[in-house]
Amino acid sequence: MRTLVFIPAWNEADSVAAVIADVRELLPGTDVLVVDDGSTDETATRAAGAGAIVASLPFNQGLGAALQTGYLYALREGYDLCAHLDADGQHPPAEVARLLEEVRADRADLVIGSRYRAPATDGESANGVGGDDYKPTISRRIGTSVFRFFLTLATRQRFTDTTSGMRAANRRVMELFSENYSPDFAEIESLQLAVRQGLRVEEVPVRMLERAGGSSFLTPVRSAFFIFKGMIVLLVGQFRPRKVGTER
Amino acid sequence: MSTALLIAAQDPKVHLTSQTRILAAVIAVGFMLMILELIRRNRLQERFSVVWFVAGLGMLAGAIFPGLLGFVADAMGVRDTNVALFSIILLLLLGLALNFSVIMSRQAAQITRLAQERALEQAREQARSAENGGEPTNSRSGTQA
Repeated sequence: MRTLVFIPAWNEADSVAAVIADVRELLPGTDVLVVDDGSTDETATRAAGAGAIVASLPFNQGLGAALQTGYLYALREGYDLCAHLDADGQHPPAEVARLLEEVRADRADLVIGSRYRAPATDGESANGVGGDDYKPTISRRIGTSVFRFFLTLATRQRFTDTTSGMRAANRRVMELFSENYSPDFAEIESLQLAVRQGLRVEEVPVRMLERAGGSSFLTPVRSAFFIFKGMIVLLVGQFRPRKVGTER
Repeated sequence: MSTALLIAAQDPKVHLTSQTRILAAVIAVGFMLMILELIRRNRLQERFSVVWFVAGLGMLAGAIFPGLLGFVADAMGVRDTNVALFSIILLLLLGLALNFSVIMSRQAAQITRLAQERALEQAREQARSAENGGEPTNSRSGTQA
């Protein structure tokens, strides 16, 4: 099975090369694509230097558009599986391998890496963030529980890490996301969309690391706006027509 | 309601002096000329100009036939013709603004897709040359375009 791992990156020159090296070492036999979302720094050249294929968007389009670019590439180039992880070094490639394994075994169409879901007691890397060790900020915690509540309400399925940027997917998901992917509220709406389309979405507990570079974009005001926007997006999403033809 | 009555503006509810009417007519004509000029200089596409022309014509009609306004206010059940006028204009502008939002959304989606296509093309080229050049990436053959 041909597998593509893609990494959306916006001005992540400091960390992108290390992430690529990690992925190539820990996920041998996969192709690595970096979607450079209009970076103004060295992200694209460093990614290419580290041996990744680089798709450079000519200007910053937002995470959703960058992720969609990855799904489009995977779909058009005929990959059977794809996965994506953040470029800031928060997502250990070893965990991505576990997500991919779930999809490869056809236990789910879309697998989300959750840092909140209690991990199965297999005692893997203990120095990461995840499970009980993870101590998020207050605004993040509020946002997380609000999204968790509303997404669970909307999908009737339990989700813990609604904004996780570590996912693995098969071709059904590629087909769906390459056509329908909200440009600015990608993570949450995409979960709702996938569940509504009857795809099997599953969460797998993962360990995440502290970010290697850059800081979270969330300030309290932004968080509040983010949460408000997310609720509207979810509400509207409930009234979107279901596409016919996406069968399992 | 005859045309004569409309022109004469005998409707007691419409209070428009000839001065106001002339001013409104001049502005309406000037507005439409401006639209024409914008189209002529390729600054405005025809399809976006229709609605503005209709607005200019409406303004002109209101200036020439003040009774029209009283008629519309009656039909709306509004006692004050000014309120009727402002409500109509407000609603039209609201609709227009919404229309622009829709157009903007569509164009934003188109721009995004265009940017993605360009990025994909570039990535595909890079992947292909890596395959041919024997660069030790993990890409395998069998690329479907």
